[in-house]
Amino acid sequence: MKKRQQAFCHTRSFWMFVIPSLALFGVFFLLPLGLSIWFSFTNYDGWKTMEFIGLKNYRDILTNGDFYKTVWRTIVYTVCNLPFKIAIPLLLAALVTSKSLRGTTLVRTLVYIPVLFSALVAGITINWMFGQEYGLINYLLQKIGVDPLQWSLNPVLATVVISVASNWISAGYYMLLYVGGINNISKELYEAASVDGAKKTQAFFRITLPLLMPTTFIVLLLSTVNLLKEYALVQGISLGGPGSSTTYIVQYIFDQGFNQYRYGYASAAGVIISILFIVIAMVQFRATKGGGEV
Amino acid sequence: MEGAGKRKLEVCLVTILGMAAALLMIFPIIWLCFSSFKPSSELFAYPLHLFPQDPDGSAYQGVVEDGLFTYVKNSLFLAVVGTLITVGISAMCGYALAIYRKEISYVNKVFAVFLLGTLIPGEILTIAQFTVVSEMGLYNNIWGCILPVVTTTTGIFMYRQHYMSIPLELVESGRLDGASEFHIFRALMLPLGSSVTITLTIFSFMWRWNDYILPLMVLSDQENFTIQIAIKSYIGTMGVDWNSILAASILSIIPIIVIFIVLQRYITGGLAASGVKG
Repeated sequence: MKKRQQAFCHTRSFWMFVIPSLALFGVFFLLPLGLSIWFSFTNYDGWKTMEFIGLKNYRDILTNGDFYKTVWRTIVYTVCNLPFKIAIPLLLAALVTSKSLRGTTLVRTLVYIPVLFSALVAGITINWMFGQEYGLINYLLQKIGVDPLQWSLNPVLATVVISVASNWISAGYYMLLYVGGINNISKELYEAASVDGAKKTQAFFRITLPLLMPTTFIVLLLSTVNLLKEYALVQGISLGGPGSSTTYIVQYIFDQGFNQYRYGYASAAGVIISILFIVIAMVQFRATKGGGEV
Repeated sequence: MEGAGKRKLEVCLVTILGMAAALLMIFPIIWLCFSSFKPSSELFAYPLHLFPQDPDGSAYQGVVEDGLFTYVKNSLFLAVVGTLITVGISAMCGYALAIYRKEISYVNKVFAVFLLGTLIPGEILTIAQFTVVSEMGLYNNIWGCILPVVTTTTGIFMYRQHYMSIPLELVESGRLDGASEFHIFRALMLPLGSSVTITLTIFSFMWRWNDYILPLMVLSDQENFTIQIAIKSYIGTMGVDWNSILAASILSIIPIIVIFIVLQRYITGGLAASGVKG
């Protein structure tokens, strides 16, 4: 009898502890998730009109060149940036874990500071350096006799500026993940390698790099997701331009929804894009056995 | 002897390389900071100088007159209140998911519901979230930027992992003493989770201070703007008010940098376990 009473009491306590989170999560995540799916079958304009129109939004999206172009552009942006998202933090981590480095804390701190910035401010900061007319980079180019570059008028160059900003604010974070990975590698392996006469660069490529594969995998997944949903950074730099050459999927959804008042269409686009993110999350979930290591 | 010389050379080279990397990373901020003290006549004139030739705080004066203190106050409210709620509810939830996992059969199913939150980025749901916020009458209200984001799976997860490593006997002993379940949590177990509390507090503060998308959609009156939205408002379709934007950007990063420098060991230590999701 007592046992049963206690079990009841614990069940009640469990729910008391969990309810605040669960209620907020339900109202502001699960409900919007359901609403998004529902909106995607309507012509909701965010105000008055909301009629069920079946699969029309999906048909429109899948026959719309702009949608494909935006998705393709986002994927190209993501894939082109991935090598840098891995190589730069890895090199920085190798540098700050080197026994030969003096002032390790200072270097780590300074490299990490950009991580603290909002994406908007990071975008603005880098944009300021790459200003077309009175930017520092163009000024220096002119100093060495090169013609100034049209950072904001040329689609490729605008993408380069965004990529620089994106790598700038993420490098310190991924560097720390790599530092953790490097510290987990047994020192004995390096000692054995050096006894066998291996050079440091050999040790890096034969020991460090292969043993860091799990970290690299995490960095790859995290940066893929973050690159695919790049938005605030672009708002500090090019606002999606010139034209729509730096408009990525999140901005496309917002433009359709909040600027064109096509909530239904935007929701349908969101549902389609979600599938992409769910696949990535599943891969991550599998690989980390429940998200445990991230 | 030759070995020692070679070693010295290596230390020298690696240190130079390290300092160069650090300088390269920090330079854009230094450039932004010095630029913010230049009057427009100097911002947009060649040749460029690193140091302001004629330092001038008028840009700062301008943003203060534009209502900077109101924006900072709103940002602080968002960050402080949001963080208090996040830490409170995440600690309770993560604790319960860990402590009752053996007694109650469906605990892991409840946890799985929260894991759904990691599947889809919040950005994708913003339009529907905005609809919910409006329907609740929270449009143009700072609470409309707080409530949707306070539940973070990352926070719940951190506490759950932490409390799973604490022996259940400790809870049992509290029960034998006749303490209520909530009292055990608050008086006995919460202090044991202080390492997670500190890490989550710092990160949550930073996430909320830097929040952009939801405040941009939800806040419409200038008097309700957070500092990020105020900065954004200096970027017009016709052009950018660079003087104001440089000064406001510098002011917006000062609190975060101060917190980072004071609490650095918690940030870089707790980070590997925390993930990036805000």
